[in-house]
Amino acid sequence: MTRWSWSRGLRARLLAAFALVTMAGAGAAAWSGAGSARAALVEAHEHQVTTSFADQVRAVAPTLSYPPDQATLDRLRTALGAGTVVTYGSARSAAGPGPDLVSAELRGAVREGDRLVTQRVLDAGTPWLVIGTPVVLTAPDGTRTPSGVEVYTVRDLTVVQEQVDRLARSALATAAFALPLAIVLALLAARTVLRPVRDLRDTARRLAAGDLGARTPPRGVDELAQLTVTINEMAQAVQTSMTAMHGMQSDARRFVADVSHELRTPLSTLTAVMEVLADTSADMEPDARESAELAITETRRLVRLVEDLMEVSRFDAGSAPLRLEQTDVPRAVRDSLAARGWLDEVDLVTGEDVGALVDPRRLDVVVANLVANALRHGAPPVLVEVSATDAEVTVEVTDHGPGLPPEVLPHVFDRFFKADAARVRTPGSGLGLAIARENARLHGGDLTADDVAGGGARFVLRLPRGTARRDLERS
Amino acid sequence: MSRMPSPLRALPALVLPAVLAVGCGVQPSGVVDAADAPTGVAPGPTLYFVDADGALRPEVRETGRLGTIPEALTLLLIGPGPGSGDVHTEIRETEVTRVEVTTTDSSIALRMPLTVDDVTPAGIDQVVCTALGVHVQGGGSTRTTVRIEFVQLTPESDVDRTCPLIG
Amino acid sequence: MASLLLIEDDPLVRRGLELALTRHGHQVRTAGTGEDGLRQLAAAPPDLVILDLMLPGIDGFEVCRRVRATGEVPVIMLTARGDDFDVVAGLEAGADDYVVKPARPSVLDARVRAVLRRTAGETEGIRVHGDLRIDTGALTVSVRGEPVALTPTELRLLLTISRAPNRVFGRQQLLEEVWEHGYLGDSRLVDNCVQRLRTKIETDPAAPEHVQTVRGFGYRFGPL
Repeated sequence: MTRWSWSRGLRARLLAAFALVTMAGAGAAAWSGAGSARAALVEAHEHQVTTSFADQVRAVAPTLSYPPDQATLDRLRTALGAGTVVTYGSARSAAGPGPDLVSAELRGAVREGDRLVTQRVLDAGTPWLVIGTPVVLTAPDGTRTPSGVEVYTVRDLTVVQEQVDRLARSALATAAFALPLAIVLALLAARTVLRPVRDLRDTARRLAAGDLGARTPPRGVDELAQLTVTINEMAQAVQTSMTAMHGMQSDARRFVADVSHELRTPLSTLTAVMEVLADTSADMEPDARESAELAITETRRLVRLVEDLMEVSRFDAGSAPLRLEQTDVPRAVRDSLAARGWLDEVDLVTGEDVGALVDPRRLDVVVANLVANALRHGAPPVLVEVSATDAEVTVEVTDHGPGLPPEVLPHVFDRFFKADAARVRTPGSGLGLAIARENARLHGGDLTADDVAGGGARFVLRLPRGTARRDLERS
Repeated sequence: MSRMPSPLRALPALVLPAVLAVGCGVQPSGVVDAADAPTGVAPGPTLYFVDADGALRPEVRETGRLGTIPEALTLLLIGPGPGSGDVHTEIRETEVTRVEVTTTDSSIALRMPLTVDDVTPAGIDQVVCTALGVHVQGGGSTRTTVRIEFVQLTPESDVDRTCPLIG
Repeated sequence: MASLLLIEDDPLVRRGLELALTRHGHQVRTAGTGEDGLRQLAAAPPDLVILDLMLPGIDGFEVCRRVRATGEVPVIMLTARGDDFDVVAGLEAGADDYVVKPARPSVLDARVRAVLRRTAGETEGIRVHGDLRIDTGALTVSVRGEPVALTPTELRLLLTISRAPNRVFGRQQLLEEVWEHGYLGDSRLVDNCVQRLRTKIETDPAAPEHVQTVRGFGYRFGPL
């Protein structure tokens, strides 16, 4: 995951949350404001319409003859404007849309009561206010009795509808105006939250990459700061233990190097005098001679072991030098086998002249170790095959022994690993394969082990051929 | 980022109802009681005369419509008609029957073509009750007071009166 | 057979090598420090110096330089295995060959004999190339009439490649013929010796006339 999409994710979520909260708040305020405003608007308008209507009726009524005839009803209807219906018993005066909109419920309320009643109805999307009222007879003492005259009228509420719509639109516009403001605020808030998070992430990444000195200075006292402090403490603990481990590791390596170095001086003496001993052993008594031969054999082994230990120490210290030379690999392998008298025991299969830029001494070490291992642990015939591609040269050493058991395979390159625990007295140092692989890797190549199909272990050395022909002239 | 974070997905769901509720303007309603029914129709105004015992007696003059206070007072000044039985008026006859009426929320002022000597106290009640009766029948309050302004200056012109039969 | 001066600080190693080399027929003198060794060298020059590089006091490199400065006594140094710095610095200080410690006396003996072997096979007389004159019988070399003092190794290198002018000698071939090294000899021995030889016989060592480099292969003798 890239860093950009990561921060975008968190930022987007913060922005969304902010925008949502703002919109919800603004929306709720607008909704409730617009709702009550609408109610007030409608109510005021209805009140005005109703009052005006009642006043009209009241103004006209004293001039009407009673009981009314049809002309009187018509006069009243005309005075009250379009959409009015006036009834008196079965007499009726009507024009306009009124009759369609007057509901039975309203008619009933007018007929039963002595009150002016209203009802809002929607007709084809247009809001109307239907007003119905009986006209009552009032005695001089205030007693009211129905006169039998009923008046119904409708009033168009489109004006109010438009006002309410305008109100809603302006509320929405206000809410919409809050949105960019909310986004700006959210960005600012996101910055303050995300920057310490990003710092922490960079620190964690550096820690993961091995920079154990990486820290984030904590800012403030919030949860992020506590997290930062915790991570710093964790990093400190890791750094401390890593330092201790490195110290122990390098102490151990230095110890090995020192021990090897110190062993070399007595080994120099032993090596020097062993030949004298060997020359004279022929004249010794049998048990003395055998003792001398044992001493000689073991001294050689000791020398070999110390040399291998020192070689491993050099690999560990990264001080193993690589001296690349243009080398004919098949010939180098053949020379390596010939130098040890192995040509009779090994089938060597090579192609034409395969040149590669390698360190011939290290190639010799690898080949010698692999073949020695095959001869020692495998069964004849041992096959050594050299092949090459444009990019790399491959040396395969295959024996026809039982092969490497699965539990052994992952450990064959371990130091001092012995496949057969009982066979402790092998002539090798136990470091040969480990050193061989280190040598392969020093070249940028590798050494791998597996089993061939018909049984037998196979070791494959791959070395890059090196594109540039190194100039052999070193002067 | 192909997936919309959940808060964003929830946004339309939250905003839409609010928009709908606000945008849908005027809603239909049930039948609502809004005000007193208007009044004002009547077969004619009620005039007050005095019977033989000296008590006020209302008498509907069937003109076919309620009419106005000046019209009713004009009829009163003309006096009881021939079919009015044994009632009489205690307002002196006058040539001029035109009355000016000024109505406010709480009172009615009558400018009468009379002096205070032209009426008895019962005559004053006749005028007050007749004016107030028309006022009430037209939808006015029974608590309205009546002031009679006489032609001559007199303290009686400043008295707020009520009808003993109304209120 | 040869008189050797062994300079080695550890007394037991010194004694061990002395015993072994004596058995190989050499006459061995020993010194425990560089100063003592140089003193013995001045008193009676040996045929060859075997020099441990790790010495108290003046170190092996300095001893080697002083041996070189006093004459043509060849030097074989004892180095730690894989210690390239020792090898390079030792060869630059003028050593003829090196043996990795712990040194087996038989190997050391073979190197001693190789270094001390002065002749290069047939001795057909005098070779003259330009201003360079090589007497293969008397084993002397002179440039423009001036005799040049060469160490045995340098002389053998010159005799070997001047035997067949224009022929290219590979490093491995020269290692086998001059140093009598077998498989996997250190080609730096050749390069280092060529350098020293050039400074002695070439008019301009930076633009060699007699011992020419053939890039990628080795050296050949000129001028053409």
